[in-house]
Amino acid sequence: MSFMPGQPLTAVVQRIQIEKLRHGENLILGFSIGGGIDQDPGQNPFSDDKTDKGIYVTRITPRGPADVAGLRMGDKIMQVNGWDMTMVTHDRARKRLTKKNEDVVRLLVTRRSLEEAVKQSMGSYPRQ
Amino acid sequence: MMQEPQEVVEETVTIEEDPGTPSSHVSVVTSDDGTTRRTETKVTKMVKTVTTRTVRQVPLGPDGLPLPEGSSPLGSYTDSIDRRYMKNGGDRFITPHATSTLTRSYNNSYNDSYGETPESQYVRHYGLHDGYADLTDNYGSLSRGVNLRPPRYPYLPNSYRPENSYTLPVRKDDYGHVAQPQVPMGSSTVDVNRSQPERFQAEPYGLEDDRRSLGPEEEEPYELEPDYSTANRRTLQGANRGRTHREPLRDMPRVRGYPEEAIEAELIDERHPYIHGIYSAPLAQPERGSMASLDRTGGRRSPSIDSIRKDPRWRDPDLPEVIAMLGHPIDPVKSNAAAYLQHLCYENDKIKKDVRQLKGIPVLVGLLDHPKSEVHRKACGALRNISYGKDNDNKVAIKICDGIPALVRLLRKTNDMEVRELITGTLWNLSSYEPLKMVIINHGLQTLTNEVVIPHSGWEHEPNEDSKPRDAEWTTVFKNTSGCLRNVSSDGAEARRRLRECEGLVDALLHALQSAVGKKDMDNKSVENCVCIMRNLSYHVHKEVPGAERFQDPSALQAPGSAGPQRKKKDDAGCFGGKKAKEDWFNQGRKNGENDKNYDTLDLPKRSEPSKGFELLYQPEVVRLYLSLLTESQNYNTLEAAAGALQNLSAGQWTWSNYIRATVRKEKGLPILVELLRSDSDKVVRAVSIALRNLSIDRRNKDLIGSYAMRDLVSNLPSGQQRPAKNLEEDTVVAILNTIHEIVTDSSENARSLAQAQAIEKLVAINKTSQSARETKAASHVLQTVWSYKELRNALTKDGWNKSHFQATMTTTPKATKNGKPGYDDTTLPLMEKSQDGYSTIDQREKDCKYKAVDGSVDQTEREPLKNDTNRKHYIRSNRPAVSLVDACDVKPQPVDSWV
Repeated sequence: MSFMPGQPLTAVVQRIQIEKLRHGENLILGFSIGGGIDQDPGQNPFSDDKTDKGIYVTRITPRGPADVAGLRMGDKIMQVNGWDMTMVTHDRARKRLTKKNEDVVRLLVTRRSLEEAVKQSMGSYPRQ
Repeated sequence: MMQEPQEVVEETVTIEEDPGTPSSHVSVVTSDDGTTRRTETKVTKMVKTVTTRTVRQVPLGPDGLPLPEGSSPLGSYTDSIDRRYMKNGGDRFITPHATSTLTRSYNNSYNDSYGETPESQYVRHYGLHDGYADLTDNYGSLSRGVNLRPPRYPYLPNSYRPENSYTLPVRKDDYGHVAQPQVPMGSSTVDVNRSQPERFQAEPYGLEDDRRSLGPEEEEPYELEPDYSTANRRTLQGANRGRTHREPLRDMPRVRGYPEEAIEAELIDERHPYIHGIYSAPLAQPERGSMASLDRTGGRRSPSIDSIRKDPRWRDPDLPEVIAMLGHPIDPVKSNAAAYLQHLCYENDKIKKDVRQLKGIPVLVGLLDHPKSEVHRKACGALRNISYGKDNDNKVAIKICDGIPALVRLLRKTNDMEVRELITGTLWNLSSYEPLKMVIINHGLQTLTNEVVIPHSGWEHEPNEDSKPRDAEWTTVFKNTSGCLRNVSSDGAEARRRLRECEGLVDALLHALQSAVGKKDMDNKSVENCVCIMRNLSYHVHKEVPGAERFQDPSALQAPGSAGPQRKKKDDAGCFGGKKAKEDWFNQGRKNGENDKNYDTLDLPKRSEPSKGFELLYQPEVVRLYLSLLTESQNYNTLEAAAGALQNLSAGQWTWSNYIRATVRKEKGLPILVELLRSDSDKVVRAVSIALRNLSIDRRNKDLIGSYAMRDLVSNLPSGQQRPAKNLEEDTVVAILNTIHEIVTDSSENARSLAQAQAIEKLVAINKTSQSARETKAASHVLQTVWSYKELRNALTKDGWNKSHFQATMTTTPKATKNGKPGYDDTTLPLMEKSQDGYSTIDQREKDCKYKAVDGSVDQTEREPLKNDTNRKHYIRSNRPAVSLVDACDVKPQPVDSWV
């Protein structure tokens, strides 16, 4: 998911739509995020590239909305409702996700397994 | 090794005190506290007042010219000077009496004649002092009272005069002049003084203010003091006159607060001009005489002020000059320079550094040994401010020039409360820097104990049968000293050993705490400091105390005689058994190897003599003390420290920790601790949790805690969706998990209550999803233990769990790599080592069974309180804040992780 400046960025992404769960006054997505451009990327256990300051899913509440929607721990969030999440602060990302007036968030995420799957299929294709 | 459930050593680094308090320097002090702004204000005022100031001696200050002013100055004066007298006894006062008499007559007779003092005199007077104006500015507070003073001059010690004169940095001739003595000065002063103002001014106001500002204790000295006596008498005479004026005047000082005398002084100065204008009018009619004098004063001033203002020759001394003045041959110059330095350093790290680099610190340290109290006091004040702050180089600089022994020396020598406050405050500041802790112990421990801790704690070596036990006095000196000792007590095993073996220290601290509990005064800083010291000294007692090995084997209890004396006080006699019959039974039990019975019934060995010193740290009596603190205190630090002390004492496997664990139960301490699991303070929850864990080494405690604390423990755990109210730190969560593990180990009953407390879901969630490797690991241990009870599996399966939930998760996340194996160096996670512990052996279980059987009755009484506890409504917790669950990596600062 990391990219070299100047190089075209390709990412295999998956759309995930999560319906927030109302929990008291709060709307809950049921996962937690880490990362952001204001955080130490070296401590992100999920990224391949330890300079990647993207937003990652760090925890999922079992059977929570995110879990149900198919979000996985370690997913990198690329967009939230169309907003770019690859160059935002941690807090900005959190706010994008927790807007009170939005009951649904549409995420664009990418994960290692997706990329690998695509690579394999693509790899096999050209070879032929 | 025992499973050392994490004992606590505490490090307090913070303690430096606000220098703001160095209250009492009449003359200079003002500046100390003063922010820049104040200083400026002063300057203006100063100018106006100038005349007065010059004449007056700083120390004497009290009689302020105008009545209003006079009062406050007295207060400050008293503060600094009186104390000295108080302690030193009456000798000095004799002279004063004479003086006072003289003065009085002086006043009476001279009022008339001198009232008309020619202007020329004043002028002359002022002329001399012009040079001082600059200095005065800085010292603003000093000068006020001049007018009143005059009578005293003849009697005053030489030292005082010089001060005023010396304030001026610039002119050397002036110094010479002033310094010279009294003769010239005295005469001029006298003249000035004669101006009648004396009577009026001093009297009414002086008294009022003094009394107000001075504590009751100080009144006495006040009267004795020559200067004051004068004031008093005057007051009496003039009391009626003054009253009207008083009210308005008084208010001013009050507003600012009496503790800060310096400030008061400043205010007064400021007011002067205004006061005169405003208040003189009403007075004028009734008290013609007094008014007249006032007017005169006012009149005098203005000219001098103007001239001073316009005089370009005077300026504030720069820093090198001030430091150079510290070495001036004339004492008042030294003390004023030191006081000015203190003022400059207040909240100004740059200046502190400059002073250090200009080599001012060794000079100040040198002044500590100066025989004149004014000088060493001011030097001490400057050092205190310099030693405050994050710049450890300043502290080191003080140490390098042997400042610590010098401070301690002065502490031994002086009886002046204020100086003692400054010394101990400085030491407190110094003690916050690690490398200095041992130095302070080496030079100051016994002195601090003997000079401050013991006397202020109210403890007496040889209690007099007739006298009532004294209560502790929570003085500033005690607070500073206990803060200093608190800091040094965290400096490792050697520091602990030194403190424990310091004669009288533990006894006095304990006495102070008991008196705090007795008076229900447990939230103050001194108590916090004392508890923290006790907690630190309790750390590793079972390993570090001399003779500890004798108590090590839990299955070989010492015979009562050799077990060490335990009864500390007569009034404690009833607390624990010790009847003959019981003792026999106890011995019998011992022979049979059924020691646990003894724990349960709490038959502690009878003491042949009272225990003392460090033995007191781990006597079961302390349990009651700590429990009282845990019950009553509102101070989180105190709560944490008290829980930490119990935690430390109940760790380890020596005889005394057995007693402690049983005593906590016996004293109904378990419900108190469980209650505190609901505390809002993370560190309190953590300390309590670990204490419970250590306590549950005792089998009966384990059963009780398992039955009644489980819900509160579990409710502190994070769970995925329902976030607990509290946002507990990783350490705390781990501590709770470890406590739960300890409780469910060897007890399927407790494991069952764990499951009933809805804990499995939380544990599984933590195990699966926590980003903290430590949390995951701890949760996984608990789950494995629970699953190991085959009798529970049925029920667990019914609830929808299966074996996979209870296995260590090797998830895809990196944290998984850390799971499982020891080698993980973490004191809070002794889980793996746990199995080595003697208490978990089969042998132990057998014992436990027996002991259970024997003590059925005890059981019930003990449960009562716990039951009540569980009946309480469970707290409804608000939602966990969105930010800040902790993330995985342990070592580095934890990355932010937000639930959404």
